[in-house]
Amino acid sequence: MIRNSTSILFAMLACSITQQANILNVGVEGIMLVAAFAAVATSFFTGSWVLAIFAAIIAGVLIALIIAVANIKYKADIFAVGMTVNMLALALTKFANHNILHASGSFTSQDIKPIPDVKVAALSGNAVVDSLFNQYNLMEFIGIILIFVTGYFMYKTVFGLRTRSIGMNQMAALTAGINVVKQKYVVMVISGVLGGLGGAYLSLGYTHMFTENMTNGRGFMGVAAMFFGNMNPVLGWVGCLLFGLLDSVGSQLQAYGIPSQLILMQPYIITVLILSAVLIVRKRKKTKLQSTNAGEA
Amino acid sequence: MKKNDYIEILLSILAALFIGGIVIFIMGFNPLAAYGELFKGAFQGNFGFGSTLAKFTPLLLTALAFHISTTVSVFNVGVEGSLYLGAMAAAWVGFGLTGVPAVIHVPLCLIAGAAAGGLWALIPAALKVYYNVNEICTTILLNYVAIDITSYMVNFPLSSKSGSPQTPSISDSASLTEFMLPSKANTGLFIAIALFVVLYWMLYHTTMGYRLRSTGANPAFSEYVGINPKREMMAGMFISGALGGIAGAIEVMGVYGCFLDNFSNGIANNGMLVALISRGDIRIIPVMAFFLAILQSGALGMQRYTSLDDSIISAIIALFILFATMQGLFKLKTTFGGPKKHTGLKTGSEK
Repeated sequence: MIRNSTSILFAMLACSITQQANILNVGVEGIMLVAAFAAVATSFFTGSWVLAIFAAIIAGVLIALIIAVANIKYKADIFAVGMTVNMLALALTKFANHNILHASGSFTSQDIKPIPDVKVAALSGNAVVDSLFNQYNLMEFIGIILIFVTGYFMYKTVFGLRTRSIGMNQMAALTAGINVVKQKYVVMVISGVLGGLGGAYLSLGYTHMFTENMTNGRGFMGVAAMFFGNMNPVLGWVGCLLFGLLDSVGSQLQAYGIPSQLILMQPYIITVLILSAVLIVRKRKKTKLQSTNAGEA
Repeated sequence: MKKNDYIEILLSILAALFIGGIVIFIMGFNPLAAYGELFKGAFQGNFGFGSTLAKFTPLLLTALAFHISTTVSVFNVGVEGSLYLGAMAAAWVGFGLTGVPAVIHVPLCLIAGAAAGGLWALIPAALKVYYNVNEICTTILLNYVAIDITSYMVNFPLSSKSGSPQTPSISDSASLTEFMLPSKANTGLFIAIALFVVLYWMLYHTTMGYRLRSTGANPAFSEYVGINPKREMMAGMFISGALGGIAGAIEVMGVYGCFLDNFSNGIANNGMLVALISRGDIRIIPVMAFFLAILQSGALGMQRYTSLDDSIISAIIALFILFATMQGLFKLKTTFGGPKKHTGLKTGSEK
């Protein structure tokens, strides 16, 4: 469950932070894909997973900057740019996979150094405790820490306040003297870093290889989880865990003859229902308020 | 669409081809020869040109579907879902009914596809119109639901029991005639072109079209002059979903002959991008859809004669669209009713 949800988690964080500034970053899928490739290629050629993570981050930031420049400077529609960048990322990684790694489909090799798992020696004595707590990848811990770090930054710092004020009302933020353009670029770069980490996890933690289109909709699920949590990283994490849980439950229930598709669609339906419920309740409250106001008048 | 826009689109095409040419040159091939093979692949012989036409049909229909939704200022990313469900409905009617003459069977399948796609699009439309739920979000999510529903149906109740995830083949009376064999081109092409003409006429020469366009341009004004913008938005979304459903139905009836699990692979996404680079001008959509179809089917030709793989063409297409959207500065924003419309849940306007 944790393993399944972590790759979505990074995507969720990457687009939560931009959504706060009113940027719907659907390009996170492409960011992760390019980063996953960069991580595998670097790990393969240098044999260092630390360098691989850095390469993934740089790749992620580069893609994020393409989106940022197109959207902020050239006023391209963010959704169109995001979808196009996803397409570009898919084509570029496929091309690079053929021509740099000389592989078609997926690339795997003994020379790829994966990101290590965290083992605590004290816990490995007991078999149950060991299997429960001692088999997680380093990135899974980093992901969980990052939830709270981004949550803190968004809700407790000046930086977060400025970002959120852009999302709430860009004109007001501009009037209040916030450098909206700079702030948006910074947010996109952070989003690139987070997406880059997610890509590195996908290719060096979750699996140890690169496969064409290996993100396979995880970026979009991250967007869905972001909507689920209404841009709040902690609530979004709940969404990620729900996706991850249903994913693993789905594959197990299939053994009992329950079609996995019926389970796999649940998270999406639940998210749509929650979104609708929140807004329907909000609308009810509003009309109630209006009718009482009218009564008083 | 102003004259400048045409020039800008042309420039983005050239820029993308130029960058692609540099990459091809670095890879050790002659870019001009490679592009020559590309166009030869897209036009030469029955197979080449037929494949281009076969790719053109769904692109045109899904682009029109997206266009009509943006006309009423709803951003229907769910065309892909409608396409799947429409394909499934058409396949069901296609193999379920037997002994019906083709004159009745073919329209029945198309109507089933259109109805399935259209009704599916009404879900996010209703949520958007009556409760202001962000339609981009719901349509992205509902796409997965639609794909899962069809995947369930094709694996269980409607499976052909042949081992591979597909429905039984549709009966001959339901299939569209193929021409230019061995390519997959079929009479669905003419259905798509006819729908384009009808849609253009409807949008610009009927009161219904006027109501739709006016709703998209200014809902408050429309309401003032007696148009019900909510109803128009629902209508626009229904048409959008129905077009997506017909695109799916044609894929089943003309290309595959049955419903295959996961057959689309993002057709509607490409259609959406076609609509986006056409900058709200419906007359450009067929041109752009055709251009994209040439690149896609020509990529195979290029791959056959050089050792370059088709990913380079996908990259060129993506670059071209990226450039085209980037210069789409002003027009795009106004078409979709300002930047606030298609972003977050909690924008200032909702408070």
